[in-house]
Amino acid sequence: MKSRFLFSHKLKPLGWILFLIGVVLGTILMVNKFDIPNWEIKVFPLISGEDSFLSSPAFEWSKNNIADELASLLLIIGGILISFSKTKDEDEYISTIRTESLIWSVYVTYGILILAILFVFGMDFFNILIYNMFTLLFFFMLRFHYVLYKSKKAIAHEE
Amino acid sequence: MKNNIKVERAIHNITQAKLAEMIGVSRQTINAMELNKYVPSTVLALKISKIFKKPVNEIFFLDAKD
Repeated sequence: MKSRFLFSHKLKPLGWILFLIGVVLGTILMVNKFDIPNWEIKVFPLISGEDSFLSSPAFEWSKNNIADELASLLLIIGGILISFSKTKDEDEYISTIRTESLIWSVYVTYGILILAILFVFGMDFFNILIYNMFTLLFFFMLRFHYVLYKSKKAIAHEE
Repeated sequence: MKNNIKVERAIHNITQAKLAEMIGVSRQTINAMELNKYVPSTVLALKISKIFKKPVNEIFFLDAKD
């Protein structure tokens, strides 16, 4: 079956490797309050806020620990490759499961965000936004793989 | 929509796995169709009708909910 917008099945293992490295790096950063590891390199910010305590000036070289940027990129790129690489036997039914899981994940992600908007404020809300960057992919992966697993198990009961 | 794929498979002595392979889909798809959990595309319905050598509307039927 022709499926649009999906990556080759071969990229799925690469996705898992990148994602798992991202999870490990992200967890280390979280435990150490985003100070360790400290991989400081020169960066070039394009946007800067008013408050010079919180951000570096725009269009000037400055230093920044890129460990959190790296963890975010690994989680997002790895997550996208896991989510949107074809399964070995991708067909129209699996594509339906894929679409439904994506819709489901959008509802869950924004459901949590709506709760956070209503009940979490200040810096705590900002912290939730950090996790919210990854939850869409994360909930999609959980739901999609769970339904695939269930439908494979259903075969075992037949015949 | 309902279907009698399971009956047709029995008549032709074809397993789920074999039918899946013949029409190029996963085994889950055949199973989900037989359990009336999934309504196939027209392309898939036509492929199945070709295998069983029967018109599509002798394999797939509308039910009260449609």
